[in-house]
Amino acid sequence: MKKTVLTSLAGLLALGGVVEADPLVVYSPQGGERAEWIAEQAAAAGHDIEILNAGGGELFDRLLAEKNNPQADVVFGLVDMAMSTLKSEGLFQSYTPTWADGLPDEYVDPDGIVHKFWQTPIVIAINTDKLSAGEAPKSWLDLTDPAYKGKYVVGSTSWQTTRTFLAGILARFMDENGKVSDEGWKFMETFYANAILANDGDSKTQAYASGDALIDLNWFGGAYRQAENVGYTVELIDTEGGTPFIAEGIAIMDGTDQLDQAKTFVDWFGSPEFMGAYATRFNQAPAHPEAIALAPTEVQEKAKLVTAQPVDWDLVAGRIDGWIQRIELEIK
Amino acid sequence: MSAARRLERAGLLLGLCGVVWFLLTFLIFPLIAGLSVAFPGADSKGLFILAEELSAARRVREAVANTAWMTLATVFTVTVVGVLQVMFLDYFAIRGRSLLKIGFAVPLVFGSVVAAAGYRFVFGQTGSVTAVLTWLFPDLGSDWFEGFWAVLYAHTFLMTGLHYLFLRAALRRVDYSTVEAARSLGAKEHTILLRVVLPAVMPTLIAVTLLLTDTAMASFAVPEILGGRDFHMLSQMILKLNSLRRQDLAVILAMMFGVIVMSLIIASQIVEQRGRFTGGAKVPVPIQLKTIRNPVWNGIAHGIAYLFLAANVLPVLTVVLFSFAPAASIGVEIIPSSLSLQNYLKVFTDADVLQPLLNSVQMSGLAVFFGLAITLFSVPVMLKYDNWAARTLDLSFFLPWFLPGVLLAVGMILAFDTPNALVGGAILLGNWWIVPAAYTVIIMPLMVRFLRAAFVGIDPHYGEAAQSLGASALYRFRRISLPLILPTVVLLAGLKFNDLMTEYPVSAFLFNVNNRPLSLAIVDGARSADPEQRAVNLVYVTLIMVASMVIIVLAERLSMGRGPERNRL
Repeated sequence: MKKTVLTSLAGLLALGGVVEADPLVVYSPQGGERAEWIAEQAAAAGHDIEILNAGGGELFDRLLAEKNNPQADVVFGLVDMAMSTLKSEGLFQSYTPTWADGLPDEYVDPDGIVHKFWQTPIVIAINTDKLSAGEAPKSWLDLTDPAYKGKYVVGSTSWQTTRTFLAGILARFMDENGKVSDEGWKFMETFYANAILANDGDSKTQAYASGDALIDLNWFGGAYRQAENVGYTVELIDTEGGTPFIAEGIAIMDGTDQLDQAKTFVDWFGSPEFMGAYATRFNQAPAHPEAIALAPTEVQEKAKLVTAQPVDWDLVAGRIDGWIQRIELEIK
Repeated sequence: MSAARRLERAGLLLGLCGVVWFLLTFLIFPLIAGLSVAFPGADSKGLFILAEELSAARRVREAVANTAWMTLATVFTVTVVGVLQVMFLDYFAIRGRSLLKIGFAVPLVFGSVVAAAGYRFVFGQTGSVTAVLTWLFPDLGSDWFEGFWAVLYAHTFLMTGLHYLFLRAALRRVDYSTVEAARSLGAKEHTILLRVVLPAVMPTLIAVTLLLTDTAMASFAVPEILGGRDFHMLSQMILKLNSLRRQDLAVILAMMFGVIVMSLIIASQIVEQRGRFTGGAKVPVPIQLKTIRNPVWNGIAHGIAYLFLAANVLPVLTVVLFSFAPAASIGVEIIPSSLSLQNYLKVFTDADVLQPLLNSVQMSGLAVFFGLAITLFSVPVMLKYDNWAARTLDLSFFLPWFLPGVLLAVGMILAFDTPNALVGGAILLGNWWIVPAAYTVIIMPLMVRFLRAAFVGIDPHYGEAAQSLGASALYRFRRISLPLILPTVVLLAGLKFNDLMTEYPVSAFLFNVNNRPLSLAIVDGARSADPEQRAVNLVYVTLIMVASMVIIVLAERLSMGRGPERNRL
């Protein structure tokens, strides 16, 4: 990506006049140790990248705002709905990475633009110390049962996880035009009325630490992590009707001036070898079957625990903001 | 016209051009760009429909009502607590005054998300006070500290900063000889307080109250974290609408807000002008602390003072304490069971962890410097030429308060994503400097507000005397005005530096790979998979608070023993 005059000047001074190729700028919501690890691995594999990370919501808005002069070369780690919108805004260019071969259909973009490399279910997990499997909800639609009132937490609607399960619920009440039925909104009202609401991670953790909340609506890895932090035994429910899966995608920006570098990076990043290593390091399930095969058995086992709910994300993507608006302005 | 005068005029003109250029480039231009995003092809009919959509939304109506009630209640409780705290420091003789002084200064450095989190450490479900209370009253739910009363309580002890800053200064300037005169005429103590002291500090108290109203109305982090499910305020709604990509609705709400804020500012400026040449002794006799003779009242006063001290410092101490605790205990343990320097070591030894802190120090420092340079030049000029142009300039400094910060950031991106003639044809997007430029814009409103108050407070006779002795404007500024307002300048620098170190909404849009600010690291840490990151966050905020506290204590030292100043906010 083009650097601006001042930073390049500083760079030139630092390098004592040696002109070097610019690093590839990668936007990703993955931060902290993940970003560090990815950057290290990429450097070791000979890719010169700089990861810019911020919250998923901010990154998404930022990408849209920078439309006239994109600062990123590659975007990865945003989930289905966000990638789908960015794609329809024409921010990406098509590129079919080498690893698209053998990738299950649901992770391949028919337009050949966004490819998914990693997936996670949004699960219902229960604290089995206080709630037996028999008492647990059997499906997402059971949560409005009075028995579960005050037993689960709904987080901020700006969280990817919350947005996904809300979409997963409303998608069940959606007709072929994407309109949610009145019954669906009635359900949503009760769903919110029965929930403990949390705007931030700390208050969510506290609800489980105090023993009020026993049912955790969380992404797969998060459910285990929370159980470990708070100190309870956790079990996942394989729900009737399935559970929504989210997948993270990768795409090359339309405006990149380092196309070749970007392509090599995308090929490397999604490759079964790197994804396998990623799965081993962070205990997460990759999308590519070959990468799953390279992942630790524990990850492979866990990947089979729950059934996926079929969701038409392209249809949902255009509607989710309106749904969340209704929830935020009327229901909550 | 002498050569020196001509030079002075040329300097003035050049400076003015600079200020106007800065405002046009980094405020007006991005603002228009931001608005054009919010209202693509808007007309007045469209606005009407949007306003209807807003007023039809139940939660928006609730937010408006909640904000109105909360603002009223907050103004009341903060005034009571703030005035009492000031009296405990500078009117009554209370033992342990230096301890109280630090304790009551806590709201100046302890704010927003950090403060709200601190309150939850103490009063939340796993908080120490909750543990004690639920042991005493088992029927009390562990989630008792939530909703309207929790927010009001936190506001009450987090928003006394203005009283601490300005009411104290005003009280110190009350001429003690008037109090003694009243006393020798046989006036009772409460009569002296109400009839002698109160009128002298009244203009300050009114101005502080108006500013407090702004602060209370704009409160975001406290209701977000302590409001619970049934209590939310306007700022939360604005940000929410913005994140739902309904910038149009967000802007309409923000503007409604802006109009109220602007009228409060204008009102406080009128109060300020009226009080301009009244009261205050030329050479005031410093106030003597009054010992309360009645032992019962004295006991009650001490009791309340220490209760307030505890209320102020308990949450902040808990935050500092947990910064020494292992990450796993945060939000789980009542008080940490083990303490170590582990978290601090990590911040100072891990370059990746330290870098954001350094970036933010650099960018916030620059912004504070530029902000002060611009406002220190503009404010006296605007006060001198009290015409429509000056007033327009004055009000345009406040424009950032009319738009949600996020939209200003988006406006900045749009204004500078292509070569822009205003900045010599450069593309600022992706440039290191765009962040400090945006920071400068967002800290200017408050700087103008406070500096104006400080400049108005300078006795005009000093300037006139110097002028009659032939001192040039620059000389007068340097040798007379600047020393008199220096405490305000240092304070402002400290407060705004503190704010910018944790500024998130604008930063998240404008930083690039070379200047990732601290706030991004903090937010990232808060949701990181690595629990250690949350401990690192507490270290960050502790460091920021300590740094700001040092600046504020320095300002306090500077303002001591400055007789001639009549700083009236």
